[in-house]
Amino acid sequence: MNQSPQRRSCGSDEHTVHRRLFLQGALASGVASVASFNGLFSIPTLADEAKRRGKKCILLWLCGAPSQFETWDPKPGTATGGPFGAIPTNLPGIQISSLMPKCATIMDKLAIIRSMSTKPNEHFQGIDALTRGDQPRPPFTRPILGSVVAQQLGQLDSPVPQFVLLDPCPEGNEFKAFKAGNWAGWLGAQYGPVRAGGDYGIPNIEQLDSITASDHADREALRKFFSKKYENDLHSSAAQSHNAAFDRVKGLMSCAPLFDLESLPMDERQRYGGGAFAQHVLQARHLIENGSTFVMVANGMPWDNHVYQHEMHQMLVPELDHVIFQLVSDLEDRGMLEDTLVIAMGEFGRTPWLNEARGRDHYPNAWSMAMAGAGIRGGVVHGATDDLGVDVVEGKVDNRNLFATIFRALGIDPHEAYDLPGLPTFHRVEEDAEPIAEVLV
Amino acid sequence: MALPTLTALAPIPPMRFTLAIFLVIVVTRGLAADATARINTEISAAWDAQGISPASRCSDETFVRRVYLDLAGRIPTRQETQTFLADERDDKRQWLIESLLESEDHAQHFADLFDAILMGRADEGTYDRRAQHGWRGYLEAVFRDNRAWDRVAREILIARPSDSDNDGSVWFLYERKDDHQAIAEAVAPAFFGVRIECAQCHDHMSAHEIEQAHYWGLVAFFNRSKNADTPGGPRVAESAIGGFSDFANLEGSSTPNLLTFLDSSTVPEKRPTSDEKQDDEDPLYVDGGIPGEPREPIFSRRKKFVTQVLDGHPLLARAMVNRVWAIMMGRGIVHPHDELDSMHPPSHPELLDWLSDDFAASGFDVRRLVHSIALSDAYQLSAQRPAEATPPDSFAWYLERPLTAEQLARSIQFALRGSFENNALVVKELRQQILDVLPDTIEIPVSDALFFSNNEHLDEFIRQSSGDGQLISEVKRMQSQTERAIWLTETLYGRLPTQDETLAIVNYLDQKIDRIDAAISHVAWSMITSAEFRFNH
Repeated sequence: MNQSPQRRSCGSDEHTVHRRLFLQGALASGVASVASFNGLFSIPTLADEAKRRGKKCILLWLCGAPSQFETWDPKPGTATGGPFGAIPTNLPGIQISSLMPKCATIMDKLAIIRSMSTKPNEHFQGIDALTRGDQPRPPFTRPILGSVVAQQLGQLDSPVPQFVLLDPCPEGNEFKAFKAGNWAGWLGAQYGPVRAGGDYGIPNIEQLDSITASDHADREALRKFFSKKYENDLHSSAAQSHNAAFDRVKGLMSCAPLFDLESLPMDERQRYGGGAFAQHVLQARHLIENGSTFVMVANGMPWDNHVYQHEMHQMLVPELDHVIFQLVSDLEDRGMLEDTLVIAMGEFGRTPWLNEARGRDHYPNAWSMAMAGAGIRGGVVHGATDDLGVDVVEGKVDNRNLFATIFRALGIDPHEAYDLPGLPTFHRVEEDAEPIAEVLV
Repeated sequence: MALPTLTALAPIPPMRFTLAIFLVIVVTRGLAADATARINTEISAAWDAQGISPASRCSDETFVRRVYLDLAGRIPTRQETQTFLADERDDKRQWLIESLLESEDHAQHFADLFDAILMGRADEGTYDRRAQHGWRGYLEAVFRDNRAWDRVAREILIARPSDSDNDGSVWFLYERKDDHQAIAEAVAPAFFGVRIECAQCHDHMSAHEIEQAHYWGLVAFFNRSKNADTPGGPRVAESAIGGFSDFANLEGSSTPNLLTFLDSSTVPEKRPTSDEKQDDEDPLYVDGGIPGEPREPIFSRRKKFVTQVLDGHPLLARAMVNRVWAIMMGRGIVHPHDELDSMHPPSHPELLDWLSDDFAASGFDVRRLVHSIALSDAYQLSAQRPAEATPPDSFAWYLERPLTAEQLARSIQFALRGSFENNALVVKELRQQILDVLPDTIEIPVSDALFFSNNEHLDEFIRQSSGDGQLISEVKRMQSQTERAIWLTETLYGRLPTQDETLAIVNYLDQKIDRIDAAISHVAWSMITSAEFRFNH
């Protein structure tokens, strides 16, 4: 009568998390980091054979939802187009916003989808659907994209965390609430993210000055001697988990510099630009180069420009343009683009019309996103909206099609059923939603 | 049934009342033994039925460490271990259990446990407020006085303290800051041993007795409550009107939030029509309240909850029995310990029924319950699993469990410094790191290992335990490295080192003889952070 590693009542893994969140009580903003950090490194009791397919993914999570008009689907000179023009790109006949001159030069490497049409039009629900791939089916919690990829492609024996959330901003309205929730869902906490970025370090990862490296190692050897004896005498699985945790300390400490922005070369930091988002995208590249499988970069929820949309986007889009250009170029220069999928998107788009505060409001009906790298055919623009960007007129796709595409690009079966005890049948992507073939290699 | 408690006897001078003590102890022991005998019978009958051979009875060395941890929240000192081992009485285990149950350490330990169970972990500011506003003191008093558990439930849920000693009882509701759903989600596991979060949006998918109406009914019992800061301190006031709403299920149909919970009959209450306005008039409140205290509605939903739902509800006793069983035995008769619903059948249904009835009949006497479990054969088994296939819910061996943050902090302090401080930095650091209490499964995260390896406050605490009478200086005084190895092992593990262990320690100390203080602190670190110290077994 062995316990299953993730206990379920009412068929839901929510309870395990509830209990832990309850215990954490007022530890509020640390919740996601604590719960998931604890989780990822827990040594899985059922040591699944880690599959090493070598594919990686960086998600530039543009939380708050950027405007398609000021990025990938400009409508210059129309009633909805806004003040910024459109510029030609290195793809004949394809224009993007004039705020994105650098991406215009690498459009042959990008795949743009201009025909996203999704349902939720509030942030929390939108974030949920576009990071998990589907809307909720209570009480079951679908794992977030990074958790699925970490589980499918990650290397559990690696000292480097496989799923990292870099988010220097602890706030972010609905995103803050979302961050406190259950990310790994029914896959279990070991597939949740390690959270770092900004002031979020991994606690206790640095060796103290009060002890030399050799004393640190010697006393650990002595600890292991005592602890193994107990483990063996009692055939103790608890002690096994305890000792396995200690076995990972050295490796983790050795990757502490990966989480230290200051340790990155100054010329690279300058090249990416001084903004927190840019710096953390650089750090994401660095983590991927050093063995992480999925890195999600966010920066709170800056894109929700209900007020002064144009002025705000005039600041945000050029940084995004620059960062995508640097990242894609770097990955290509290093020969990593073929294996690394880069995704840039938010949870929906923005209204064609302006509100009274000269902002654009939430608009899931017709919006755009971009991808590049592993499994993705560059130089493709999929779908189209009408002249004013009100409706999708060609190639309409939704979150399910998008997730099927992402999984296919990473070599993960999009339609595989989750075979988990106590759960109804779920699929990685429901309803056999088709990937967007046009953007796949 | 009012039983004289052992606490009440403690201050009586033995010479004058020898006969009385003798009789009372016989009576008390006799009753506890009934429950213990019942536990032994039921548990061993299940072993027989399943063909399980249990582990052997644990050694005295093992027992003394285990029972100090479970009852007093810390390992015994070297001296306490030796006193127990030298005791030649046949029933010395029983004597130890009884003396620990009367100790202040026991009140502190159970206050630690129930604070985490009832309130959850919190940041240090919240811990300070819990202490400042009397919650901590209230919990300590509850377990020091062995207050009847049904009374405690009433005090916490009515939250109108009749005297200032009980002011802290309001904190269970008050800390939840008028979040009535949070209150409902805390009340259900705390006093009924069920979790209802699922039922917020829909009837429970598999435990059908937990309906969405119960979730919102439980919320309604508390939704007229509002925090009030009075000259006497924090209070939870209650309005005589309002709190009517409808809840919608996933299909979108809506239902009024009647005063109903689980199988109790719905408390009747007149619902105003949608265009009817209620006036919050004085006649709706009890006359002549205490000046400065919030007024009390004549129809108090909180009081109705206590008198018509809680009082006499079988889950009140059953939930506490299962929880105390889990505290003592490492898992509930129903597992997880706070999900006593139809989805989670008990491993020993008749025993759970019997103990619950017995607990209620004893006047919800928590200490008596703890006592009877500690005396049982199953509690005193070795932690060695008898066979790979033996299921944990057979209780055929003592299920090892990680020390809680407080047990660990207390044990480290006692072993290294010989005394304990509730507010020491090492306590605070540990309770921010190790959150679990009664975990469903044992998984030690790497973040814990990083904490033990690199946390500066823990490191300082160990290195600086070199004052007079503290571990490093005591060990240093020993003449030989072998004596040092023995002293360290006896102090930290409550046993003699094996030959290999002695050799390992001696070698380590020899190698670093020029920095003997540091070397001793490293050995202490390595023993404290090894599994033998980390777990109760």
